[in-house]
Amino acid sequence: MPTALPLLAALTWSLLPLLWQLLTSLRTPEALVLQGPSAWLQGWTLANYRQVLQGDPPFWRYLFNSCLVGAASTGLTLLLAIPAAYGLQRQRPALRGGISLLLLAAAMFPYVLLFLALLELARALSWGNQLLALALPYAGLSLPLAVLLLRAAFADLPAELEDAARLEGLNLWQRLHRVLLPLLAPAIASTAILVFLFSWNEYPIALTWISRNDLLTLPVAMARIAGSSVYAVPYGAFAAATVLGGLPLLALVLVFQRQIVSGLTQGAVKG
Amino acid sequence: MTTAGLHCEQLSRRVGDRLLLDGLSLSVAPGESLALLGPSGCGKTTTLRLLAGLDPVSGGRIRLDGEDVTHSPAGERQVAMVFQSYALYPHLSVLANLELGLEVRRVPAPERRRRIAEVLALLQLEGLERRRPAQLSGGQRQRVALARALLRQPRLMLLDEPMSNLDAQLRDQLRPELRALLHRAGHPVIHVTHDQQEAMGLADRIAVLEGGVLQQVGTPQELYHRPANLFVARFLGRPGINLLAGEAGVQLAIRPEQLRLVESGGLPARLLRREWQGSQQLLWLDTSRGELLLLAAADLTPGEQLQVTWKPDDELRFSSASGERLA
Amino acid sequence: MAILLLLPALALVAGVFLWPLLRYGWLSLQASSVLTGLVPVPNGGANWQRLLADGRFWQDAAQTLRFAGLSLALELLLGLALALLLHRPLPRRGLVRAVVLLPWALPTTVMALGWRWILNDPFGPLNGLLQSLGLPAYGFLSQPATTWLFTVLADVWKTTPFVALLLLAGLQAIPSELEEALRLEGAGPWQRLRRLTLPLLAPYLLLAALFRLAQALGVFDLIQVLTGSGPASSTESLALYAYLNAMRFLDFGYAATLMLGMFAVVLGLSALVLLAQALRRRLAEMAP
Repeated sequence: MPTALPLLAALTWSLLPLLWQLLTSLRTPEALVLQGPSAWLQGWTLANYRQVLQGDPPFWRYLFNSCLVGAASTGLTLLLAIPAAYGLQRQRPALRGGISLLLLAAAMFPYVLLFLALLELARALSWGNQLLALALPYAGLSLPLAVLLLRAAFADLPAELEDAARLEGLNLWQRLHRVLLPLLAPAIASTAILVFLFSWNEYPIALTWISRNDLLTLPVAMARIAGSSVYAVPYGAFAAATVLGGLPLLALVLVFQRQIVSGLTQGAVKG
Repeated sequence: MTTAGLHCEQLSRRVGDRLLLDGLSLSVAPGESLALLGPSGCGKTTTLRLLAGLDPVSGGRIRLDGEDVTHSPAGERQVAMVFQSYALYPHLSVLANLELGLEVRRVPAPERRRRIAEVLALLQLEGLERRRPAQLSGGQRQRVALARALLRQPRLMLLDEPMSNLDAQLRDQLRPELRALLHRAGHPVIHVTHDQQEAMGLADRIAVLEGGVLQQVGTPQELYHRPANLFVARFLGRPGINLLAGEAGVQLAIRPEQLRLVESGGLPARLLRREWQGSQQLLWLDTSRGELLLLAAADLTPGEQLQVTWKPDDELRFSSASGERLA
Repeated sequence: MAILLLLPALALVAGVFLWPLLRYGWLSLQASSVLTGLVPVPNGGANWQRLLADGRFWQDAAQTLRFAGLSLALELLLGLALALLLHRPLPRRGLVRAVVLLPWALPTTVMALGWRWILNDPFGPLNGLLQSLGLPAYGFLSQPATTWLFTVLADVWKTTPFVALLLLAGLQAIPSELEEALRLEGAGPWQRLRRLTLPLLAPYLLLAALFRLAQALGVFDLIQVLTGSGPASSTESLALYAYLNAMRFLDFGYAATLMLGMFAVVLGLSALVLLAQALRRRLAEMAP
């Protein structure tokens, strides 16, 4: 079977909806409803981007919020997951298997179920409308997968390396810092990217924890744009927003494609 | 009893209900090299890890230069180990590999440099300082691992199958070098191997382990000629020792090189097959006392019907029940 | 000692996963709504009785199931095809993977908004295509009978790359000698796929199926933005109904009950998949 045709189909299938958004975002509202080939000659504009970027709050604010939450969640997750993965790898096989299975179940869990109780918690602790507080549930939700991925990476390191470091008098912190973590850098990068993507895209918790307009993360802002009447028949503006909201991810995926793939596939192998 | 060197008494290791090492007692003097020899799973690597402090001891004592280190952490024992994989830190250069341990032990920088330069010269590693382990040959890696171990200024040097990652030719070449180096250093050396040739080439004495129990310890000659039991007799020597049907309750054994072909008066034997090995040849013989292996000159062209004999003094006699050698 | 390193992470995981479930267990036995001034008052099993008699719950359960079932089937099928494609030697492999991965990486709400425009009646590109073929425009998002199919389309578009990558990992774990050996015995591509690749891929397919099943049963963002449960609640999922009860009707007791009901559905179906897999393996072992 030839490869070219299915490959073309797969790329078109992935890209066409995205390209259509790009196209739409550059058209005036009038041009969008025109029919026929002549319509392509006119109606090009950057006004949609201007409208989105000059909104109140401006669109970049949502990008900034999402970046902040993503960075904080990723940092917190790694901080907890790295020692946990090391600790898990050092457990007896039976206990390790049991904990791993529970973590796997948690990683698969449809977490949307959890939002009500988490919202109650946020209210009780006055964490509503606190961007950084989102890092706690995000880290909690990301930890199962992160620990499993890093545990598998620790298991792949030859045990003799750490033994050699112990004999030379390195303590646990020195062994992690000087020997094990540098070797785990690729796995840590993969895990970090996956956690960041999750935090960037998370919706139900951000939706219920954040109500202030200027604190919204990108997914919630998008949904709010979709539901609001501020932009009347605003498909050009919608599209400009989806392009702006998608661009950082596009960059991330292009740059870190290898880490994302290895993170996902590692996840599959150990599962 | 002297206090210098390594002494372990009744050393045991139990994991769950499995006894990996059962009451091992050994002494190794400074400058002496001991090989721990045995099939895989016999407890030799377990012993090494107990001595290094990498696994906890279940029973017995370890004393190093008079100090009881049975329960000291690995990092405080001043024991060095060359691992089977060499365990060089792959992300660090040769120099950084050697320096890491000195650095965490807070050796001042000038002294670090001096000692590293010394050991690099000793092991002929100059010029490789900036290389990563992946850029080194197998022999070079072994020497870096050895250099790192020597920099530990160990009270005891452990080597875990140090030759198993090298090809056969390189092994023959490096064995004498390694032996000379280990002898010069002046600390007790224990090295683990399943290869009897390596054990005989590197060690002053050999300890044979089987099933977590020490079978015999002695010089290679003692072990070969006066094995304590049937296991040691069968484990040492290639081609393997011949077992003969003997009187009730006694198992006779004779080494293939001690069998001779004679014209008459010997045990009648029929030639089954032969294997030419260059300097000599190996004959498989069918006799009334069982199948026998005989080592003969390479140029001999034997007929099919032969007669074979041996000196009664060369016979080894073992108890059929216990396997112990009978005097 | 090593267990101490695990504890902070396990504590947070328990706080995020276990605590809500326990809390729901308690809340589902309380009346806690505007009627009680949002103060929990024990009401026995009233919430559960209501759930069993709630036609909307059962209808949403059926709608969620049909959405998850079709999505899962299409994603496994297309994901397998995509994985087989990506497993071949390709030019610019990294770039191809990045492009294929893109739909999965984008926020669901972003692309749900995109699909809303693509499916727009009458100005969206799909209707443009229909009209240029001389066909009448179709209300992709306004026909109660068919709108759910387009929610499936959007979901399949987004998550097929994820399934494909999982299966790709499985394909790469199969030693190429095995396929070469089968080839030397004269097996064609279809036979190799059926006799060798699929059986060895089974654990990966199972993992992908379980993962996607649980996620699809919890579908929320996509529906909320793409159809807002409409038209006529025909695309409402269990998660959206629970959300509605909690955030719009402020009936926390019943919302908690709905969450647990949904959890039971997820758990039951996952168990069913595992059971089917175990049964299939047992049958395969018994076959001569």
